[in-house]
Amino acid sequence: MPKLDSFTLEIKTGAKAGPEIPSFAINGFPLEFDSTEGSTQPGETIVLTGSPNSYPHSLVLIGPQNGQPAWDIESITATYDCSLMEAYTIRMGTIILDDESNLNFWNEPPLPIFDV
Amino acid sequence: MPTWFKKVFNDDVAKATSPGVPTSNASDADGEVEKPVPVAPPTVDNPALGQPDTTEFEEPVKPKLRKIIHAPIIMDEEEQSSWSENIAIKARVEADRMTCVFMVDRPVLEGLSAWFPQPSYAEESSPLGKQLFAIEGIGNVLLHGMTVTIGMTDLCDRPWQELSVETGQVIRAYLKTGEDTITQSFRDNIPPEGEIHLKLQACVDMEINPGIAAHSGVVTLERIAGNSVYLVMGGGCQGCAASEITLRQGIHNTFRNAVPQIGGIFDVTDHSAGSNPFYSELPAGMD
Repeated sequence: MPKLDSFTLEIKTGAKAGPEIPSFAINGFPLEFDSTEGSTQPGETIVLTGSPNSYPHSLVLIGPQNGQPAWDIESITATYDCSLMEAYTIRMGTIILDDESNLNFWNEPPLPIFDV
Repeated sequence: MPTWFKKVFNDDVAKATSPGVPTSNASDADGEVEKPVPVAPPTVDNPALGQPDTTEFEEPVKPKLRKIIHAPIIMDEEEQSSWSENIAIKARVEADRMTCVFMVDRPVLEGLSAWFPQPSYAEESSPLGKQLFAIEGIGNVLLHGMTVTIGMTDLCDRPWQELSVETGQVIRAYLKTGEDTITQSFRDNIPPEGEIHLKLQACVDMEINPGIAAHSGVVTLERIAGNSVYLVMGGGCQGCAASEITLRQGIHNTFRNAVPQIGGIFDVTDHSAGSNPFYSELPAGMD
């Protein structure tokens, strides 16, 4: 399991807006993003950065608070910067994040594929 | 009895000096027996003990568990359309470094899977398997759909870059002949799906689940497709770091002993999804 130094999330919001200031948790431990640029309004893109400096079993984007409307996420581009390896990017598709769910956006480094 | 013993273990003195403890058989200097002094038992009304705390406490509210969900991963178009007109084969070395999956751009074994844990199993069952075992370092072979999965022997020290090229050449050369990758007798011996399901379900109910119940685990047969088995690990097994060992060393052996003709056994559990599988409860502030 690699050590995740930092990551960048680029989240494009669909039809329904998300929380004004999203937060995340690594292995169940809640943390705040280092920086936030943009917004979670419909059609807008927000860029979030975090520095867990740890070994993630789970890395979750925390859904809206209780009673808040669901967040319609159109796409997510996550770039992971891990120790002792090159940074890698994973693109994720549409998902709706409601007040009963968290989104695990941790993805292990893709296994190398080569032609034989 | 020595005098120091009496001084140290003088029970009467100890009782007489303890407040609230009635003395018995204690003698004064005149030799008369002193009557025990009754001592009132402590009660809540005793001012010395204070008044009982009648404050009502509310049960702490546990944070509500949230489901952990995943977003679908979008593959690069370049990666999806990179198959060539010829027999293109891509190799992916698995994380355990002992297994390599060869993804072929056409079916290797349609609708079935064939598992050969050692060369003798492939001798009469699979011409392709037999050729693959001729390569130094190959310990087991799984043919399934459009993939060939190769396991390295424990003693093999050949790098996968070298072993995989040789394996790819054998697979490509064999598929070009157009011949079946398994023999007809092997096909004929495979029991129907219903029979496999019944036998494996009996294993799950009577052997596997009682065994892993100690760890609050549960295994469910998701489906049988041909002779391939798809299962889901739940309860304590979901998200458990040892689930892979349970699967390979326990469940695989039990299933293969019950139905030797089964091919691939695939764990289709999403070990990071569900209701917070890694942790018993969320820390404060997560809700």
